[in-house]
Amino acid sequence: MNMTNQQSFDDNDVVLEVDGLDVYRSNSKVVENASFSIHRGDYVGIIGPNGGGKTTLLLSILGEIPVDKGHIKMFGEPSHKFSQWDKVAYIPQNAMDFDHFFPLSVKELVSLGRVRRSNLFRSLNSKDWEKIDEAIEFMGLSELSERRIGQLSGGQKQRAFVAKALVRDPELLFLDEPISGMDFESQEKFYKMLSNLNTQRNITIMVVSHDLTAVFCRMSRVICVNHNVHDSLIEPDTDPNNILKKVYGEHFHFVFHDHKCKGEFNGV
Amino acid sequence: MVFEPLLGDLPQLLRMPFFQMALIGGCLVSIICSIMGLFLVLRQESMIGDSVAHTAFGGIALGLLLGIDPILTAMVISVLALLAISYMRSKGIAQSDSAMAIMLAGGFSLGLIIISIAGGFTVAIMDYLFGSILTITWSDMLLIGILAVVVILVVILLYKELVAITFDERASRMNGIPVSAISIVFNILMGITIVLSIKVVGIILVVALLVLPALTALQFQLSFRNTIIYSIMFGLISMITGIIVSGMMDVAAAGVIVFTGILIFLAVTGYRRYVVPS
Repeated sequence: MNMTNQQSFDDNDVVLEVDGLDVYRSNSKVVENASFSIHRGDYVGIIGPNGGGKTTLLLSILGEIPVDKGHIKMFGEPSHKFSQWDKVAYIPQNAMDFDHFFPLSVKELVSLGRVRRSNLFRSLNSKDWEKIDEAIEFMGLSELSERRIGQLSGGQKQRAFVAKALVRDPELLFLDEPISGMDFESQEKFYKMLSNLNTQRNITIMVVSHDLTAVFCRMSRVICVNHNVHDSLIEPDTDPNNILKKVYGEHFHFVFHDHKCKGEFNGV
Repeated sequence: MVFEPLLGDLPQLLRMPFFQMALIGGCLVSIICSIMGLFLVLRQESMIGDSVAHTAFGGIALGLLLGIDPILTAMVISVLALLAISYMRSKGIAQSDSAMAIMLAGGFSLGLIIISIAGGFTVAIMDYLFGSILTITWSDMLLIGILAVVVILVVILLYKELVAITFDERASRMNGIPVSAISIVFNILMGITIVLSIKVVGIILVVALLVLPALTALQFQLSFRNTIIYSIMFGLISMITGIIVSGMMDVAAAGVIVFTGILIFLAVTGYRRYVVPS
């Protein structure tokens, strides 16, 4: 099984570059002058208050919303001519809101991730099915692979959608609030699994999250979005409050459960 | 005792070419309806079947007026109507349901005008309104056969894309699947399917052939592939039952085919809901 990506990467390899970005939605400026770079292997948390522009920022990077000012480059290619969509996977905020009576087994859902322009008119080949089985196993869903997706629990659904993203062999994975509505234990498991993807498969991950503990314990970089965008590295001695005050205001104080970082969270 | 001589007729009926053609033609149409109908139900656009069948009425009248095979003119009008519904929806001119209403009204009113101008071709029109599976000719049969095979082949070729788009159109677009082109192909297949069904059950009941087998199959909560297989199976059971009962008892075939479908749907739903709820 080819679980890890054997290629070696230059740590300074920039996969995403955002420069002076302004984005408007229904005539109001939602993202203002955003500039940051994401390197290969980064595990990035995007945080900030609701309505602050996190989803807008993601969607503009993905080319779903027009950019009003500034530049976005992915894998060195400007966003308006970007063609390497095979390297990118995205799990939207509302991925779980599908019609629960839709007749699709877990395996069928995951297989949809292998449907792309280059295999039009052909059925999936044995390599595709190998990838599909491998992703299902990696996400711990082997026993549920024939189950209908509508019958899964919240956490299982989430893992199934990550498996669907994984079969595309992405180098850059975007997730928008993937764990809303999940219990604490499932959330922890989920972020642990993302850490595994990040370290074992060298996938660069950008995840919109409200779970500040998970962000500061597990991730390597944090982007705070409240119309303005601040980008900071997370080092072992980083005080989250210095970063969070920039977006949530001077009076914000986050009680950081440092012990959790070393204890429960470290079992990767 | 009443049924004995009628039942005795079945082997004899099965030897008659008109009856064989009705069975084969009916089954082919049933298969494509059961497949296309599943996509339609899952896209929550069931009533497109009803709307476009009525729009096709204009095409049928036009064909009868011009002396062209009405099936062909109806097919052109239906495909145009389907593309127009997609266009109106995507450009924000109308929602799905109002776009369907406009198309139904446009096509049907055009048909009424043509019929009055032509002085009425009543018998032929009645066949198209209520279906005439037991009177299909060799050339109808050939056309149904070719087009049904085309629809089935294209669905097989585009199966994974159609499933992906039906499940999540936006994600499919982002994954680089040519969604717009495939939607046009889907509309053409849908137009063909609807018009062939008119031949079997008539304009008014087309929607039943599309929706009933798929909806019945969906009650079993299976995978996509198995749902299609179940849908085809339920469609065929209704179709064969309908044609045989109609042939033996001289009842309108369309009525028996669709009513059988309704009974199967009720039985399956009742069974799944109240006997073995999953």
